[in-house]
Parts: sequence; structure tokens; C-alpha cells
Amino acid sequence: MMTREQVRKLKSVIALAFCTLAAFFLGDVLIHGIGALNPSLFTNDPVPPGIEGGGLRNAFVGHLIITSFATLIGVPVGVLGGTFLAEYARGRKIARVISVLSDIMVSVPSIVIGTFPVVLRTTEDMLSLVPWTLREAAFALGAPYYKVIIHVVYRAAAAGILTGILLSIARVVGETAPLLFTSFNNSFFSANMNEPVSSLTVTIFQYAMGPYGSWHSQAWAASLMITVFILVLTVLGRFILRWRYGKRPTI
Amino acid sequence: MEVREETNDMNDNIKIEVRRLNFYYSGALHVLKDISFSMYKNTVTALIGPSGCGKTTFLRCLNRMHDLYPGNRYEGEIWMDDDNILDNDIDHIGLRSKIGMVFQKPTPFPMSIFENIAFGLKLMGIKKKTEIAERVERALKDAALWEETADILNKFALSLSGGQQQRLCIARAIAVEPEVILMDEPCSALDPIATAKIEELITELTKRYTVIIVTHNMQQAARVSEYTGFFMMGKLIEFDTTQKIFTAPSNKMTEDYITGRFG
Repeated sequence: MMTREQVRKLKSVIALAFCTLAAFFLGDVLIHGIGALNPSLFTNDPVPPGIEGGGLRNAFVGHLIITSFATLIGVPVGVLGGTFLAEYARGRKIARVISVLSDIMVSVPSIVIGTFPVVLRTTEDMLSLVPWTLREAAFALGAPYYKVIIHVVYRAAAAGILTGILLSIARVVGETAPLLFTSFNNSFFSANMNEPVSSLTVTIFQYAMGPYGSWHSQAWAASLMITVFILVLTVLGRFILRWRYGKRPTI
Repeated sequence: MEVREETNDMNDNIKIEVRRLNFYYSGALHVLKDISFSMYKNTVTALIGPSGCGKTTFLRCLNRMHDLYPGNRYEGEIWMDDDNILDNDIDHIGLRSKIGMVFQKPTPFPMSIFENIAFGLKLMGIKKKTEIAERVERALKDAALWEETADILNKFALSLSGGQQQRLCIARAIAVEPEVILMDEPCSALDPIATAKIEELITELTKRYTVIIVTHNMQQAARVSEYTGFFMMGKLIEFDTTQKIFTAPSNKMTEDYITGRFG
């Protein structure tokens, strides 16, 4: 039988092993990616293999469009849904049912559906963590419920909700398999969402499998850019919070 | 809307009159039993009694706080001026803007000191920035917090000390100029110095407001209040002037509690 300390040590070792592994992947992406970065990557569309100077402009733009739309559709629905569950339907059976259903839906691999359950569940959890005394204090001043939520509860849970949103965006940004069947891919520039649209992740998938060295290096560069994007997003989120709400203990 | 029925002891100095109040928490837990007494204008009424006796539950009936949770039920009447607080049609928002509340633990909102107080003012519909700033300053002065916060109004409210946070909550409550202020053990989380400041403040507040305070500290009740109600097991055992309660209580249970023989 292991003592509690031994268990904790074992857990730490496992966690450390995974972190090291992740660091190894990240380092690999960084080394290969930086070497492959060049301006034409962002300004030019792909050219046939063997011709110099091609880029991935179509994939960057396509990816941005897909991610933005998924976020714009998923985040408001998620935040409002989470608010409904934690506030208006609190303690009711329907709240439990929706919670469980969205827990199941989190694993559904579709980008729009995949972003809202994550936001919904984190919003619900974060709002539930806000102590009731805080709401009572706002109610006691004569505030209607929607103002209590918008001005007091959301602020108290801002860090948590934002984290949920960022996680879901990161999830959308990294989504590949569903895109193979939904947006397909496109070797040319297209911003029409009713037609096949190019995306970074699918392009990475195809280029990495391809036989050309130039494809491989572009795939590395694209991987690096996705990683950097998620990093920037996270850091930016923290900055916005600090700027808007000042230094504070976060939930 | 009901009309207040005349009774013999009605007098102009009564701010709140409670008539045969019964309260049940969801699950039919009968917590308050047949409470009847009156609270007078511009006085401090202290509610004392052992833990679980129903004094906080009573306090929260006065601003219908129990309505936030499903299944709670009131019976009886609570008249404030000519409105029955327990009337089903009562406007909770209007009622709560007339009855301020200070909680046991400080509950500053996660925003700046200034915004904490401006929140209630904006709820009242005040839009003029100069007027808001003026009233924030006045509220902070009334709550004896202005000197410490004048230069840091934009700082996050949670960066204040516990005693300051509680005075901020008092400032927030009085900024909207309610008629009655409810205090639920406002000093229980504070040190003696902060407590002394708040007690001083309470005395000052009676010039303009009717204050009802729940306290576990009998010395505090004796120091700040004119009237005292002693609760036990959901009943109001005795209600009288504080002096009478603490020097010559008419009920044996009150005497035992005051002298520390139980509770």
C-alpha cells in the first residue's frame, strides 16, 4: 500500500513525463517551423510543387473565417446557455438534463457544436462558483436579476468564463478531422462558406502526408503559426482581464 | 392591495409593524412562529438570541430575501408605512431600494470602490456623472471611509481591508438613501477597532434611517440600540426598550440568556 506522499510523488512523475513529452513536440514544431517561415507564406496562394514562392494565404484566410464563425455562433449560445442553467434554471431538473447532454456533446466532433458545449459547461460551472451572498448583496440594492447577472456575477466569474471561451476557440483552431468532411479543402483562394474552403489544419494534414519537401516545411510553418496563435490568444485574454478588472484573485 | 387595518397601538413613530408573522422554509420547516412587534422610526432595534433562533431569518423577511429561493413561504403581515411587505403584489425591486441591507461578511462587488457605490445609484436611474460622483463622496463620508479612499477610488474594492470593505458596503447601502437599513451581524467578521467604528456609524445613521441589527454580541446590542427583541426557537420571547431588557427583563428566559446562563 502506498502512502499518500508516495501517491503524490507518482502523480507528479507522471505529470512531469507528459509535460516533457509535450515540450518535446513543441520544441520540434518550433525548430522546424521557424526555419520554414517566410513572408510569402502569408501573401501567396499555393503553387504546384517544384515552383518556388508558394504560400498558404488561402488556408490562413479560410481558417480565420471558419474559426471566427464557429466562435461567433458558439460562444454567445454557450454563454447564454450556461447562464440559463446556472441562474434561471438553477436546481431544476431541466438544468441537470442539459448539463449531462452537453457533457456528452463535448465529445461530438463538429466544430460549431464542439465549441458551444465547452463554453456552456464552463460558464455554468464558473457562475455556480460565485457565492450567493454576492448576488444577494446586489438584489438587496434593488437590482433586477438580469442586472445582477451582467454587472456582478459575470464580473466575478469573468476569468473562468474567458478561460472557457479561449479553450473552446483553441479547440476549434486545432480541429482537423471534422473539417475533412465539412469544409473539405481547397487549393485555391475562397472565402465562400458555401463552397469548399481551405483550412490550415487540413492543409497540414495533406502536406505532411505529401511527398514534397516544400510541402513538409510549409506544414511545419503552419503548425507553428497555429501554436503561436493559441498562445497569443491566451496571453491576450489574461491581459484584457487584468486591464478591465485590475489585479484580483481569480476563480 | 390590502389596506392596513387600524389597531389601538398604531402610532406615527412606527416604521415597521409585524403582525403574526410565520415563516416556513421549503420543506415546511416552521422557523418563525407568530411574531408580532413594531420597529420605530430613527431608532436602532437589536435582535438577539442564540444561534438558529430565527433572528436572521426574520431580518431577511423584511426585504423579501427569502423569495430568491424556491419553496419558502410567509404568513401574516409586515406593514411598512402603508404597504404590506408580504403582499404578493409588492414590487420587490422598489421594496429593496427602500430597505438597504448589510451582510455578515463584507460583500464588495468585483469592481472599483467608486463603481461599487455608483452601482446602486445607477440602478435608481441617476445618469449625471457629477451627481453620481457627488453622492459617492457623500456616502463614503457618511460611512467614515472617505479619508481612507479619496485617493484610491478607482482601486479594486477587494483590495480594501475587511473593516474597510464592510464600511464600503454600508456606504453602498446608504448611498441610495433607503428608509430602513438591515444589518445582519455586521461586525462578526471584524476586529474590535473596526467594530467600534461601525458602531459609531450605526448611532450616526439613526439620524436619518431606521436601523435593525442582528447581533450575537450582547454588549453591542446594549451599546447601539434603543430597542431589543429577544428571539428563541423561532419565537419572539420579549421585546422592549434595550434598557429594560438588559436591566429588568420580564421573562425568565430573557434573563437567563442575558446573564449568560445559556446560549
